[in-house]
Amino acid sequence: MRGMRTLKKYGKIWWIMSRNALSAAIYSKLSFLIFLLGKVVRFSFFVLFLFYLVEGTGNLAGYDINQTIFIFLTFNVIDIVGQFLFREVYRFKPLILSGDFDLILVRPTSSLFRGLMGGADFIDLFTIPILFVVLYFVGMNFHPQVGDVLIYLLLLINGLMITAAFHIFILGLYVRFLELDYVLWLYRDLLNLGKLPVGVYKQPLRDILVYLVPVATMITVPARAMMGLVSFWGVIVSILIGTVGILVSMRFWKYALRYYTSASS
Amino acid sequence: MRKKYFSVCRISFIQELAYRSKFVVERLQSVLQVFLIFFLWDSVFSDPSREVFGYDRAKILTYVFGLLIVKAIVASTKASDVSGIISSGELTNYLLKPIGFVKYWFFRDISARGIHTAFAVVEAAILFVILKPPFFLQTNLMSVVGFLVLLVMAMIIFFLMLTLVSFIPFWLVEQTWPPIFLFLSISEVLSGAVFPLDVFPEAIQKVLYLSPFPYLIFIPIQVYLGKVVGMELIRSLLTAGFWMVGLMIAVSWVWQRGLVHYRAEGR
Repeated sequence: MRGMRTLKKYGKIWWIMSRNALSAAIYSKLSFLIFLLGKVVRFSFFVLFLFYLVEGTGNLAGYDINQTIFIFLTFNVIDIVGQFLFREVYRFKPLILSGDFDLILVRPTSSLFRGLMGGADFIDLFTIPILFVVLYFVGMNFHPQVGDVLIYLLLLINGLMITAAFHIFILGLYVRFLELDYVLWLYRDLLNLGKLPVGVYKQPLRDILVYLVPVATMITVPARAMMGLVSFWGVIVSILIGTVGILVSMRFWKYALRYYTSASS
Repeated sequence: MRKKYFSVCRISFIQELAYRSKFVVERLQSVLQVFLIFFLWDSVFSDPSREVFGYDRAKILTYVFGLLIVKAIVASTKASDVSGIISSGELTNYLLKPIGFVKYWFFRDISARGIHTAFAVVEAAILFVILKPPFFLQTNLMSVVGFLVLLVMAMIIFFLMLTLVSFIPFWLVEQTWPPIFLFLSISEVLSGAVFPLDVFPEAIQKVLYLSPFPYLIFIPIQVYLGKVVGMELIRSLLTAGFWMVGLMIAVSWVWQRGLVHYRAEGR
């Protein structure tokens, strides 16, 4: 009961903050459209490239055209939905530097929630439905069972949980160390390597992408689930990684908060 | 007169290294992008005797390594800052000074390119030792000279194109970053910075060659690899030269028109 009330409360707060973010985003409609066009251009060109590449070579690390494009689409789901939900993380550092984070700490809401999900990025909201439609049509080429689809969706949510864990960890780094803003871009660049099947990469990069920044767990494993290529223990280990990731990152956030000194306010 | 522009270059050089973590992140991003492309093609050419899209293993991996250095020379530019300066009204400060605005930014560009290129060469050398790719060394003097000339022209073409896009705030004051983002998204792909353009069918390639984008990265590297020789090399040099001169005229014209519209909003 209490949990439901809390969920409702944060749902309402998220809706209000996102509405404000949308108002700010569409203040300049031309900018909004240009950004959207830029993202669509980048996405379309890379899909074209993958198509012609795999058509010309036959396969990529053992994956055919459909499988390669599906992995790329899954990467886009994780990347774009993550950016849609957690865009506020990119705007968090100025709050710490200016001391405005104090104003967030005194409110009767979770400061982590504000820092993590304080304003959705609505440019991505326009691309997400199209992405899911394309994902559906490409995914149907594998003739998946209902179980494969459900596991895929479960692992996709797990991938988003790992994304959330990384963003929470980065927020903690901002609070604790101030100067480590490059970690966010490093995470984005490593995640970008998930555009391709992790099998393409050689050691030790492959180990980094499997164990350290679990890009394989976030992207390649869910995609393989849709293709019916993931074992039961593969699913269990992936979910464990997601769960442990969230718990550790939240612990780190609490630890980091103890060191916030409000030095600039 | 030249002294003041070299001073601009020197100060810009120092400024570039003032924000070290930002600089390191930019270099890391370039290196990680090279990793993605390197392993992709390494996987495609896992059979060393394979030939795809007219490349063998040595040439395609040379293309990838060439990307790291050529991108640093061509695409490391400060011209994107111009739009913010026009939008905020800071341009007024520059107009009051006895210095050519476009020339000023060109010399700032040179220092940025110099630093990024120096680091790119070191990174390429380290990656070469770690990854041990087969490397195609061009020995034909015409190809090497053609490559270097095209590189210089590519530098100027990219600077001019980005400067043109950065002049948009003269008319649309709030459009600072979005047009630049769109331009960079398009140029990154169409210049061959993500993948060689011969992956596309001939029909698409013919359309792309009508634009200046392939002359930024793809064509210079093709010349180095010896895939563009003889009359084709001459044609490429002339086309790049045409774009360079055309864009210079365009920048000069747009600059004059822009100054008429400039209202120093934000000041």
